[in-house]
Amino acid sequence: MMIFSRAQLHRKSSMAKPSVSVGIICSQSGPYQAMGREMLKSALMAVDEINSHRDFDFALVAHVRDPRGVISEYHTACDDLIRNTGVEHIIGCYTSASRKQVLPIVERTDRLLWYPARYEGFECSDNVIYVGASPNHNVLPLVRYMLDNVSQHVFCVGSNYVWTWETNRVTRELVTATQGSIVAERLLELGESAVEHIVDEIVRRRPPVVFNTLVGSSSYDFIRAFRAATTAANLDIPMLSCSLCEPELKIVGPASAGCITSSAYFESIRLPENRAFVRRWKARYGEASSPSVDGQSVYVAVYLLARALRRAGTSNVGEVRRAAAGYRYNSPQGPVWIDGDNNHCVLTPRLAISNAKGQFDLFWEADAPVKPDPYLTQLDVAGPARETSRKRSSSNPPHLRIVK
Amino acid sequence: MSKPSSFSLRGRRALVAIKDERDLSIVRRQFERLGIEICIWQPGCSLPCRPDVMLIDDEFLPLASATQRTLPARCPVIALLGTETPSRLKLVLELNPASFLVKPLRSAGIYAALVIAFEGAERTNELKQQIVKLEERLRSRRVVLAAVLHVMHSHSVAEPAAFALIRRAAMEQRKTIEQMSAEIAANGSLPRATG
Repeated sequence: MMIFSRAQLHRKSSMAKPSVSVGIICSQSGPYQAMGREMLKSALMAVDEINSHRDFDFALVAHVRDPRGVISEYHTACDDLIRNTGVEHIIGCYTSASRKQVLPIVERTDRLLWYPARYEGFECSDNVIYVGASPNHNVLPLVRYMLDNVSQHVFCVGSNYVWTWETNRVTRELVTATQGSIVAERLLELGESAVEHIVDEIVRRRPPVVFNTLVGSSSYDFIRAFRAATTAANLDIPMLSCSLCEPELKIVGPASAGCITSSAYFESIRLPENRAFVRRWKARYGEASSPSVDGQSVYVAVYLLARALRRAGTSNVGEVRRAAAGYRYNSPQGPVWIDGDNNHCVLTPRLAISNAKGQFDLFWEADAPVKPDPYLTQLDVAGPARETSRKRSSSNPPHLRIVK
Repeated sequence: MSKPSSFSLRGRRALVAIKDERDLSIVRRQFERLGIEICIWQPGCSLPCRPDVMLIDDEFLPLASATQRTLPARCPVIALLGTETPSRLKLVLELNPASFLVKPLRSAGIYAALVIAFEGAERTNELKQQIVKLEERLRSRRVVLAAVLHVMHSHSVAEPAAFALIRRAAMEQRKTIEQMSAEIAANGSLPRATG
């Protein structure tokens, strides 16, 4: 029998399932509205699936809040969800700045934030479940790949905030350890569209590779201008990203092809769980629509929460957290579970290259889910052992495997 | 071997004196995540390990002077503060803390406190070594002055020229100016130029 806490359990009629209120915070406008909208679509899809699924003998009631990309409104939205709606679990936030706004409230009131985005690491709150990729899942495989297969000299361009700063810091440590160099590090304010001066510099200096950590519209403007200028100059400079996703490839258009991208999720993953997920997605949102890594991660977050609620038999934060730890879920991106040591997600890193059809062609994935390392404790920049090498003394070594 | 990065804490050893069980469990969990080995210590008892860093709860202050003497000198201390009253801070300052954390502890802040403590200790040690070097040089100024005066007399040159001669001789013989000066003062003459 389910023992949901009284505050959260509302039985509308003797026939209806008991319900659990869940807060959802996704920005539907502002500089990263495209991602916010994808995230909300995925959250609502997961909630509807769970509510109509016989395996779950409770229903989730989604209370959606839109902070419109305004940092201070994340605090207001979260405060309202906790104080007035009385939710114990909140799914959402996209940037680290928005997560940091919400963190003090969820810690003070002992709620649980299910944070779906990949982020730069160096945080480990007991009141957050980090569902997205950790830096060892995301940045490390991409930079290792670059050093081994592309070049040791890289031109970095990114949005001026913590994600880029920390990604560039890790890149610099790895590149410097192999006697390589950061050719340049150029930063743009979030939402900035004046990218020409950086593209001109790239064409002039001809770096062997460009690492793009821009987010949102700046990234789309940059990729288009970069592709046009390098094509005109007859240059073939590879571009790396650890955030591009399918809906963004569609926004950017044909210029988006050929970008080497690191992610835990691509629409093209050939797992039965993913094929079924993509079918359901297209049935709901249209044949031309594509799920994205962040959207899929929100979907995974809702399922991880629902499964933990079911396993715990209560919405109590401590018990749900314990129930989520180590509880494996065969998600669209493959098997995932929460590492009880650090509340981050165990998942499978992948590398792919974007093609002209707005999809990604996978060319590498770890052969088993990889333990999250939010503080990069296992990172050994100077050591000869590589994350992508075949022999590594880590407790959870990812091995090279070519994906056909 | 290159010095370990202050950002990578794996393999370091921490001596931990914390009263509250909840604070201790938070430190224990965070140290596991960071790959830091933990040695629990009760002030007054002998040290259970040779630590790289010490976390000391202000509840244990003041430490007995005998206990304070057993603490490894170059090991940075992170103080755990329960109160910010000047009387308590005065006791904390006796530990010469490299960093601090405010109780009740949470996971956030521990990593930063450690990094700042290690980096601060590293810089302090470099400064101390520099001071030792400077003090040595200061002590030998008297010898250098004597050598300069000697060369001024023997070569009938002004002070800058005398010093330049000594410096050139020191460079030729791959010695410090202080060593060269000591030889001049002892031998009563500049060594003959070589080459």
